[in-house]
Amino acid sequence: MYFCTNMNLVNEIIELLKKELLLEWRQRSAISGIFLYVFSTIFVIFSTFITVQGKTWNALFWIVILFASVNAVAKSFLQENNARQLYYYTLANPIAIILSKMIYNTILLFIIGLMAFGTFGLLVGNPVKDVGLFLTTLLLSSAGLSITFTFISAISIKANNSATLMVILSFPVVLPIIMTLLKLSANSLRLIQDTGYRDDLIILIAIDAILISVAVILFPFLWKD
Amino acid sequence: MRSLWWKILCMILMVYAIVAGMLFPLSPATHYIDVSSGETGKALTFNVFGYNTNYSQSKKPIRAWLKKGKDFYLCASDVKVVSDRQLTTTFQIPEKIADNPQSVNLMLIVDSEADGHSVLPGAVTIKQTASNASMASSCQVDYLEEENQGITFPFRNILEETIRSLYYHVPLWFAMMIFLLTSMIYSIMYLVKMNIRYSIIASEFARVGVLFGILGLVTGMMWAKHTWGAYWNWDIRQNTAAIQVLIYLAYFILRDSFDDMEKKARIGAVYNIFAFATVIPLMFVIPRLSSSLHPGTGGNPALGSNDLDNTMRMVFYPAIIGFTLLGVWITSLFTRLQLVKMKYLDTDEFED
Repeated sequence: MYFCTNMNLVNEIIELLKKELLLEWRQRSAISGIFLYVFSTIFVIFSTFITVQGKTWNALFWIVILFASVNAVAKSFLQENNARQLYYYTLANPIAIILSKMIYNTILLFIIGLMAFGTFGLLVGNPVKDVGLFLTTLLLSSAGLSITFTFISAISIKANNSATLMVILSFPVVLPIIMTLLKLSANSLRLIQDTGYRDDLIILIAIDAILISVAVILFPFLWKD
Repeated sequence: MRSLWWKILCMILMVYAIVAGMLFPLSPATHYIDVSSGETGKALTFNVFGYNTNYSQSKKPIRAWLKKGKDFYLCASDVKVVSDRQLTTTFQIPEKIADNPQSVNLMLIVDSEADGHSVLPGAVTIKQTASNASMASSCQVDYLEEENQGITFPFRNILEETIRSLYYHVPLWFAMMIFLLTSMIYSIMYLVKMNIRYSIIASEFARVGVLFGILGLVTGMMWAKHTWGAYWNWDIRQNTAAIQVLIYLAYFILRDSFDDMEKKARIGAVYNIFAFATVIPLMFVIPRLSSSLHPGTGGNPALGSNDLDNTMRMVFYPAIIGFTLLGVWITSLFTRLQLVKMKYLDTDEFED
């Protein structure tokens, strides 16, 4: 019943994306906070490590991304109060709302990932040999993390202790993505030589696709109270 | 739910799985020997220790060979029976058994009339010293005794008696996956029909699934301690199994954080379905692509024909059905308990 006017859905998503950007621009402190979070985490890490080898680089990079992502995405539903959300749902299709938030968060996480990549390269050097594969992995994982975290934040906002709930609900669920992308990323650092990395890319895309379809099907059951 | 026959079937299958799984002996086999290496051109004497063997009951003399590659056999010059479980064998290692100086890995084959023939792969390593002698000729093997025909489980060198864990560890995982699938189906049914009963059934199936998952982890760790040397080996399947248990523990915390029954049921069902969508790649895709100590990696099926023989199937398949029925039984009791609780709490007749 929601897909009766496809053009309408696309237009709504575009309008909602504009709204997200506008909100982000008006509350610049929130996004700056996330970027500062990434920088300070990286500084804390390298003050303790100083030099890192490829394997540690790989692990640290994705841990920074994981924690920055969960913080960046958690606010996507938390920042707007219940009354305003209810108002959105009367204006727009709920599916357009969740999709626009997922797309917006994917872009946000990809930018955070690029920034972390740049900072890592600046501070401790860049061990990535296959940059194309690395960036593809970063984009696909941004999508995967964004889909999972956005959906879980929509779930945890319904409960009272949502900050704790957000982490315990999303970390185990996100681990299939993490495991696949760690393998891909290790490949792009040439820590492992695996010519079959295309399979891993396909798995990552498949996980993203499964999660987004499940999320879209389930979201209508979630938002209405 | 009211009928009794499947509960009786469950008890029969469980008793059968425990009795048969524990009591059938392992087939006689060569367990280990007390040397690990030898040199060419010298005599090599060692003790062979058998497992469940009856060397002294063999009517014909016991024979032994060391085998290199596909078709090079070295006959034992002397085989003495010490006891039912011990032989002392002597081999005259010839001057030359390999073309270049190198270490040659030899397999031991013992053939006795009472127990049939058995094989110990990688028994000894012979160091080939430089030699001008001509290549030793292979010894003739005319026949091998048939393996013991009684009801036995196969003997595997690393597994030994722990091969019996297969009937308890693996069915727990099979049953758990069935329960989690059922839990997801009931969650969907709840979202479609909005009947609180489905929500309770879904959560109770998940609860028993987690219980079986934890038992599966514990039995797996005990098995891993024996075969792989440590309780936790950071094997991919161990990790994904632990993560899966975490996912469902989070599901209970989510459910418990709502007081409102309808909200608890609805949001719990949404998370349950979403979580199951990640369980599929977690349990069935990722472990098969990485290297693992478990069987079933590199695109193989989880249990190939090398891992199960017909005797084991006779116990393994009933054990799966038995454990599944047991779980369904526990779930039905839990569900009834929850329904009774809900009934009393709703009508305020029962408060403490």
